[in-house]
Amino acid sequence: MQEFFATLWRDFHTAFIEDNRWKYIVEGIQNTLILTFFALVLGVVLGVIIAAVRSTYDQQYERMTGPAKPFLAVGNWICKVYLTVIRGTPSMVQILIIFFIIMASSNNKMLCGIIAFGINSAAYVAEIIRGGIMSVDPGQNEAGRSLGLGYVQTMWFIVIPQAFKSILPALANEFIVLLKETAIAGYVGVTDLTRGANIIRGVTYQSFWPLLAVAGVYLIMVMFFSWLVGILERRLKKSER
Amino acid sequence: MSDNIIQVNGLKKHYNGGEIRALDGVEIGIKRGEVVVIVGPSGSGKSTLLRSLNLLETPTEGAIIFDGVDINDKKVNINLHRQRMGMVFQHFNLFPHKTILQNMTLAPLKLKKMPKAEAEAKALELLKRVGLEDRANAYPSQLSGGQKQRVAIVRALCMDPDVMLFDEPTSALDPEMVGEVLDVMKDLARGGMTMVVVTHEMGFAREVGSRVVFMDEGRILEEGSPDEVFGNPKCDRLKEFLAKVL
Repeated sequence: MQEFFATLWRDFHTAFIEDNRWKYIVEGIQNTLILTFFALVLGVVLGVIIAAVRSTYDQQYERMTGPAKPFLAVGNWICKVYLTVIRGTPSMVQILIIFFIIMASSNNKMLCGIIAFGINSAAYVAEIIRGGIMSVDPGQNEAGRSLGLGYVQTMWFIVIPQAFKSILPALANEFIVLLKETAIAGYVGVTDLTRGANIIRGVTYQSFWPLLAVAGVYLIMVMFFSWLVGILERRLKKSER
Repeated sequence: MSDNIIQVNGLKKHYNGGEIRALDGVEIGIKRGEVVVIVGPSGSGKSTLLRSLNLLETPTEGAIIFDGVDINDKKVNINLHRQRMGMVFQHFNLFPHKTILQNMTLAPLKLKKMPKAEAEAKALELLKRVGLEDRANAYPSQLSGGQKQRVAIVRALCMDPDVMLFDEPTSALDPEMVGEVLDVMKDLARGGMTMVVVTHEMGFAREVGSRVVFMDEGRILEEGSPDEVFGNPKCDRLKEFLAKVL
C-alpha cells in the first residue's frame, strides 16, 4: 500500500514538479481562457450582426420599400447559408480548414484559433439572440410602433432590453460550452490546457496525472462559471418583479 | 367628406392569395369628435379593420385617408401619422421593464423631443385624471388589469392624438374592472375625442357611441345611431347577433 502511494507521488513529481512542468498547465489555462474569451467576443459581434439581419428580415421585409430591400434579402440569404454550414459541420473540421487552408500563411496559431472558434460560436450566438428577440411578446413591438416609434427605436428601447433577460444566461452558457470546445485547439498547435497535458504526457511517458489534472481544471472552471451564471439568472429574475 | 378625419375606401385584407378575406371592401368615414363603435361576431374583421387604421395590419388594397393623406401609400412616413393616432390594446401592452411614468414619457421624449420635466408633469396630470398619480413609479406588474388599461389609455394620450383607437379594451379584464376602464373612455368621449372602439360592451356602445357599425365576414352590414342599430335592426345577421349578445 505504502509503495502504491510512493509511486503515485513519484509520478506526480515527474509530471508537474520536475523541470517545472506545472508551467505547461498554467500556460494552458491562460491560453484556454484567452482563446475562449476572444472567440466569444468575436462570436458575439458577428452573432449580433447576423441576428440583426435575420430578425429585421423576418419582421420588416414584407413592408419594406426602397433600395435597401434587395440587400436585405441577399444578406439574409448569406446568413442562412452561414448558419447551415457552420452548424452542419464539426468544429474540428472547421478549425482544420481555417488553419491549413484559409489562414495557411499565418504563423499566429492563437489568432487562427480565435477566428475559428469565433466564427463557429457566432452561428450559435446569432440564434440565441434571435430566439431572445422572438420570445418578446409581439404586442410590445406593436405598442411601440403605435406610439409612432420607428422600427429601430422600438427594437432599441423596448424589445432588446426585454430580450436581454433570456439572452444573457444562454450567452453565458455558450461561453461554458466554448470553454470546453477549445480543447481541440491543440490539434493546430495552440498550447491550450489539453495540449499542455499532452506535452507533459509526451515528455514523461505518463498519462495518469496530466490527464486527470486537466480534467479537474476544466471541471473547476466550468463549475465556477456555472455558479456565476446562476447568480446572473437570479439577479435577472429579481428585476422582473 | 372633407370633415372626415378618417376616410376608408375599398379596404381589403386577403390572406393566402384571396382564400381568406378578413376585410372584403370596407368603406367608412369617421368625423371629428365622433365615437364609432364597431361590433360583430368574432372573426368578422372588426379588429383587422381597426388595426388597419394605423397600419399595424397592412391592407391588401384600398385607401385609408387620414386628415387628407392616404397613409396606405408606401411613400408616406407612417410613423409621423401614428403619433397622431393613439391605440389601446386588449392586452394593454405596457412596457414591463419601465415604470408607469417611463411608459408614458418614452414617446414624447423620443419623438417630440419634449423636455423631461414637461413630459413628466404632463404624464402626472394625466395619471391624476385616471386616479393613478400615486402609482407613477410602480412597474406594470404591480398593477391590476384595470389599472394597466387606464395607464395604457393615458400613455396614448401623452402624444396628444387626434384619434384614439381601442381594440377590445375590456375583453381581457376581470368583470369588476371593466367599469373603471369604461368610465375613463366615457370621460374621453365627453371631452370631444374622436374614438373608434371595437368592443363587446353593448351598454357602452348604446350610451356613448355616436354611431354603431355592425360587421360580419369582412364587410360592414349595417350602421347607424345606437337607437337605430339596437332598436330597429334591419339585416338578419344583425338581428341574430343581437339576440345572442343582448
